[in-house]
Amino acid sequence: MPPVETSARFRTGRIVLYLTLTAISLVMIVPFVWMLLTSVKTPGDIAAVPPRLFPTEWAFGNYADALRAAPFATYARNSFVIAASHTVLNVLIASMAGYALARLRFRGSSLIFLAFVGALMIPTYTKILPEFLIVRFMPLFGGNDITGQGGTGWLDTWWALIIPGAVSPFSVFLFRQFYLDLPVELEEAARLDGLSELGIYARIMTPLVKPAFITVALLTFEGSWNNFLWPLLVTKSDSLRVIQVGLSVFRTENDTQWAFLMAGTTLATVPMVVLFLIGQRYFVQGFATAGIK
Amino acid sequence: MEYTRRSVLTALGLGAVAAATGCSASSGNSQATADGPVEGEISLLTPLFEGSTGKDLLEGKLLPAFKQKNPNVTVKVDYTTYAALNEKITTSLAGGLMPDVVMLGVGWIPPFAHKKVLAPLPDDLAKRYEYEDRVLEPSRYDGKLYALPMVLDTRIVTYRKDLFAEAGIKAPPKDWAELREMSKELARSDSSGKLSRVGFDPFSIDLRQCWETFLFANDGNLFDDSGQQVKFNDDRGVEALQLFLDVIKDKSADYSFKSSAGQPTTLQQGRSAMMMSNNSLWVQLKKQSPELLKEDKVGAFILANKVPAMLQGGTMVARSASSKHAAAAQALVEFMGTPESILPTAEQRGSVPGVQDLRTSDYVKNNGFVKLALDNMSKARSEGGTAAWMEIREKIKTTLETAVVGKRTAKEAIDELANLSKEAISRL
Repeated sequence: MPPVETSARFRTGRIVLYLTLTAISLVMIVPFVWMLLTSVKTPGDIAAVPPRLFPTEWAFGNYADALRAAPFATYARNSFVIAASHTVLNVLIASMAGYALARLRFRGSSLIFLAFVGALMIPTYTKILPEFLIVRFMPLFGGNDITGQGGTGWLDTWWALIIPGAVSPFSVFLFRQFYLDLPVELEEAARLDGLSELGIYARIMTPLVKPAFITVALLTFEGSWNNFLWPLLVTKSDSLRVIQVGLSVFRTENDTQWAFLMAGTTLATVPMVVLFLIGQRYFVQGFATAGIK
Repeated sequence: MEYTRRSVLTALGLGAVAAATGCSASSGNSQATADGPVEGEISLLTPLFEGSTGKDLLEGKLLPAFKQKNPNVTVKVDYTTYAALNEKITTSLAGGLMPDVVMLGVGWIPPFAHKKVLAPLPDDLAKRYEYEDRVLEPSRYDGKLYALPMVLDTRIVTYRKDLFAEAGIKAPPKDWAELREMSKELARSDSSGKLSRVGFDPFSIDLRQCWETFLFANDGNLFDDSGQQVKFNDDRGVEALQLFLDVIKDKSADYSFKSSAGQPTTLQQGRSAMMMSNNSLWVQLKKQSPELLKEDKVGAFILANKVPAMLQGGTMVARSASSKHAAAAQALVEFMGTPESILPTAEQRGSVPGVQDLRTSDYVKNNGFVKLALDNMSKARSEGGTAAWMEIREKIKTTLETAVVGKRTAKEAIDELANLSKEAISRL
């Protein structure tokens, strides 16, 4: 085929590709733009028929009013503490578990791996009640005796918010797949050089699976930041409530304060967007690698 | 069968409730009396004050007033939404930590009273104020009073007076035949034949509550008095659902013409001429489309076919049977059931006060939909009526929807729902 024809076909292909990607990007970004614009609209503009994209009057005060409606600084702090704790614990423990399942030979490892895969298939909502009961009857906490009776266990404490969701079987599975792909020679060379197993995990193998760490960290942070039901179920005190529960003050059975809800949601979304922008290269790489396996 | 978050939790939870109420060391005396000193720290679980203005009202006005009357009682509030209330109660029960005072929806008393997790209240509380019999019905189970009504939310038909006048229609429909005819006259299509305005929008409220309103207007019932027999699967129940299919077939209604709670409704937008509504629409109109009220363009009426009927939902306040401070909990229930607590609570939500004594209040007089509802409380009917209600209610909408989207006939959907309900009742 002549080079000119190949080049023209290539160029046409690129144009179609970019047009398609632009269209998809627009579709993806429209809800965010709508959220941003709604957050600065007055109730009249929100109810306008036909709907208007831009407000006739820019109500930036919605942000201040939304922040005044509830202790959002406390909610944001709580969400951050929980999300950061989950991220650190998940990355640390799940990577160790994934490494052990991928690289160490021990009796029952296949069975344990199968158990992790099996755990992936349990629907989240069927686990809520058993987890709640474990938290509530936790021995020697919250006034409980050794049999877990007499008090409230971990309910309405940081323990209940952090421990139950700290490590996910999906993360263990993802780390295992990454560690599995590393060449065995590296591990053997390190072992011959006298490095301990912990040293091989931390200094040799882990630096090579950075995308897995970024992927798990981002997914964990995002999941924890957006969690609504579990924090609502295990807390009573306003001082322990999280940002997603806080946002519900704008949505009651009979009314939704759309402008405030959108202003609050915009603020709650910002940390996620920033985190994604920072880690997007590794994040995409992580998914691509996991997908290939 | 479709599994939803709620159905899974309800199934798991109600199974655990029996064990929790029977075995938990902390559940205490299952029918603790309210004798003894009015003191202690009690917890209140509420889906009624979860909004920002609600919190200000509860913590800034109501609870301080309660504290003044009961200085030795401290109330710890656990706010939740109606969407998560069942999960909150279910997990609390399973964990043996039922809140001392809980606010529940209409229809919720029989399931929880049946499990003995609520304490009966003295019957004279039902005579303290002027209550419509229909309003107290859902507070009772097995002949005993278990809760006091706070606020009610009724389902009425709202309509655009200007669109009626434009079509030469002088009065709202008196029965379904008229409703169907008027819907046809009021519907409009654009040049391509696509609907631009529906004559009737029954789908902007929850399909379960909408169908129940039509069932009651057709003189039907959900269950028998004992709550053991399904009654909605007769002709009256099928006709109620069939009407939705008929108006869709007439091209005077469309399932895609609906608005979510809080969004400008199809009625406000002029995309429907009649719409099934919650009475709280008045407050929404005042905020979003005040000109419609100012120019008297919106009216409301009670749905009627064989009988006039209005579905009554709402929130009631009850005391836990396992409260360690039963007297304090009962004092809070009684306080929440007074007109002084009910009026501001109804006002902040645009709801109907649960006592007739407030009929002459400025709030009721100045809210057209609330006034209409309160004047017609004798026509109110409640959902529920069986101890298996929590399980059944989750299945109604999804089952009826199959008929509305054309996957089944109305009779098939109602029969399926009846079978699911019978199974749920048989498990009691």
